[in-house]
Amino acid sequence: MWAVVAAFVASDLLPGPLAVWRAFLVEIAVENYFGHLAATLARVAAAFTVAMAVGGAIGVALGGHALTDRLFHAWLVLFLNLPALVTVILCYVWFGLTETAAVTAVAINKIPNVATILRVGMRASSRDLAEMATVYRFSPWARVRHLVLPELAPYFAAAARNGLALVWKIVLVVELLGRPNGVGFQLHVYFQLFDVATILAYAIGFIVVVQAIEILLLDPWQRRATRWRR
Amino acid sequence: MSGLRVAVTAKQFGTAPVLADIAFELAAGERAALIGPSGIGKTTLLSLIAGLDSAFGGQITRPPGALAMVFQTPRLLPWRTLAQNITLAHPACTPGRARALLDAVGLAAAADLHPEKASLGMQRRAAMARALAVAPSLILMDEPLVSLDAASSARVQAVMVDVLDRSGATCLIATHDHGQALAVADRLLELGGSPARLVSDRRLPLSRQARGDPRARADLQARWFPAPS
Repeated sequence: MWAVVAAFVASDLLPGPLAVWRAFLVEIAVENYFGHLAATLARVAAAFTVAMAVGGAIGVALGGHALTDRLFHAWLVLFLNLPALVTVILCYVWFGLTETAAVTAVAINKIPNVATILRVGMRASSRDLAEMATVYRFSPWARVRHLVLPELAPYFAAAARNGLALVWKIVLVVELLGRPNGVGFQLHVYFQLFDVATILAYAIGFIVVVQAIEILLLDPWQRRATRWRR
Repeated sequence: MSGLRVAVTAKQFGTAPVLADIAFELAAGERAALIGPSGIGKTTLLSLIAGLDSAFGGQITRPPGALAMVFQTPRLLPWRTLAQNITLAHPACTPGRARALLDAVGLAAAADLHPEKASLGMQRRAAMARALAVAPSLILMDEPLVSLDAASSARVQAVMVDVLDRSGATCLIATHDHGQALAVADRLLELGGSPARLVSDRRLPLSRQARGDPRARADLQARWFPAPS
């Protein structure tokens, strides 16, 4: 359908699949297509890891302690509603146009989201099972390993899935504003040249990679974490 | 070995008193049934004894040694197999020991099932095997046969008696079922009133062996708990 519409419109602003494929081959031959893709993926991985670790810890703390939740709830709401662009600009202004600033800006945008989901998970944890663990004197480590982590696994999976989608979008903005490489940087360059075919070549390539991560990594992990269900 | 000593002067939920002036002692190895209608406070009292709730007036002294509890819902970890649930109850419980305990409650073939794939009766029996895994000095059971059909109930009750015989532990079983109480306990502690108090404390005049006879139990039940006319 894309090819039909593109042929009908016959404009550089809506290139067909063949034109995008050619642009893709040119980028591989002339520009460092996979290098840019790798740079973006590295930023996504770094920001995603930091956000999941920090956001997860905050969510568990808030969900597990009512007083902490009351004290920090307003801050969580504030960061949830802070526009991504503001965080990115402030990080670049305060920390310079560095890799650390870029990853920090993306992570800050994702942390409140992870914290919110994990907080719900902690609140939904079974009091019955916690009592059972108390009666049978589970050690703190056994409690975490056999009770808390399996209970939080579905929430962690939801946060991860949701997080990946958010993180890679913000990474492109961060690259567009202040990095010398990456898919976001290349999109900015080709936007200035009005080269829609190359823009689509990068966008589709990146979507394929993200889908592969979802299908090959997140799906099997989620299936494994919930295989005990009837 | 000393048994269980309970002296609860008051227990409230918010401003509502639920338990008052409940005092009794169980000798080591003694089996008592805590009877009374649903909602009277039997589970609450078991929670106090188990140490799950410390907000009450009075004092409870448990026998030294491990505590085991068979909850009203089996409370098995759904993401672990039945055998794994049993090994987790005690650090010294090996997989082999867990399988032997499951065998003892008739679940040898179900050791690798996850709880959600087992029936409620099987889950209850697994919970009883878990109680044995800690070699308890005190076992608390909360309505262990509730929500089971007649066949499953009879089977789980037989397992329960066997588990109690094997453990030799002091045992307190909360139940609203008089017949069940007479079948497994040496003594009946009855809660009544509001807030709930101990309204009767009766020792069964039959030996454990004599109680195996359903007619003897039926006679005793008819005398102690006559059906309302």
